[in-house]
Amino acid sequence: MVFNTGAALLDAIVLAVVSREREGTYGYKITQDVRKAIEVSESTLYPVLRRLQKDECLEVYDQQFDGRNRRYYKVTEKGMAQLNLYRVEWKNYSKKINEMFEGGVTI
Amino acid sequence: MNRTEFMTELAALLQDIPVEERREAMQYYNDYFDDAGPENEQQVIDELESPKKVAANIKADMKENAKERGEFTENGYSDPQFEQKEMPAGQYEYQSNMEPPRTNNALKIVLIIAIIVVGAPIVFPIAIAAAATVFALLAAAFGVFLALVGVAISLVIVGVILVVTGITLLIPHLAVGLGLLGTGLILTVIGVIGTVAAVKLCVVVFPGMCRGIVWLCRRPFERKAVG
Repeated sequence: MVFNTGAALLDAIVLAVVSREREGTYGYKITQDVRKAIEVSESTLYPVLRRLQKDECLEVYDQQFDGRNRRYYKVTEKGMAQLNLYRVEWKNYSKKINEMFEGGVTI
Repeated sequence: MNRTEFMTELAALLQDIPVEERREAMQYYNDYFDDAGPENEQQVIDELESPKKVAANIKADMKENAKERGEFTENGYSDPQFEQKEMPAGQYEYQSNMEPPRTNNALKIVLIIAIIVVGAPIVFPIAIAAAATVFALLAAAFGVFLALVGVAISLVIVGVILVVTGITLLIPHLAVGLGLLGTGLILTVIGVIGTVAAVKLCVVVFPGMCRGIVWLCRRPFERKAVG
């Protein structure tokens, strides 16, 4: 990708991906979903998940799957608030950039 | 490299982070491999690149300062005013969370250096004196046991000499000769028994002492390794 993804944008994308699953989702799936949208190395997602978990934007729980424990991530209320904030930010930001690119803004 | 090797190396590289963090990270990547399935194992390893990179990413994020966070590199988000007004609350908590440990660390290092500088003239001589005392005591103990062996051996020698002298004196002075012979025999027997007993004592005591010394020398290092 030409544009690099900053930490805040990555946080927002991860929150958005996790929030799509009501019952929560797990690390491998989150990685695959995020990688559908942006190019990100597999090893960068764990720190993001861990940080969001510490920030109480994500909560984790372990559930039996296939005879083993699998860790699930779920967006908390605080995480939803954060995600909504990111959404608004992104909307404003991308609108301005779009206008700039498409010549809608007179400087 | 296979999964086991990857995880083993990762665990080794994460030795210097808190136990809780290490456990979480190890569980995550373990789950990750499980969920990817054995058929994708090599692909996952290729994409994770190396345990070194995974570990570096984990550590970098733990140390990451607030400045680096929350910047949209390709746009105006790096404008500090804008960040201050509109960055979500979470970013600030980081800033306040991250700062104190750093100053604490610096303070700790300064304190340790101060302790070393101030304490060195006192601590080093005391340490050397203590080591010398321990060494001397050990040497003395070795000496005592060796001396026991020496005494017993000399008893045997004296006994044998007395027996020989007794035999040579048998003809001219029968009584004196017999007396010397008897004393010599008794001394020889006591000496032989004493030698055997002393040697056995040494065999039991010396290895024990050696082990004790090795243990004493090792202790500080072992403690360090555990800590």
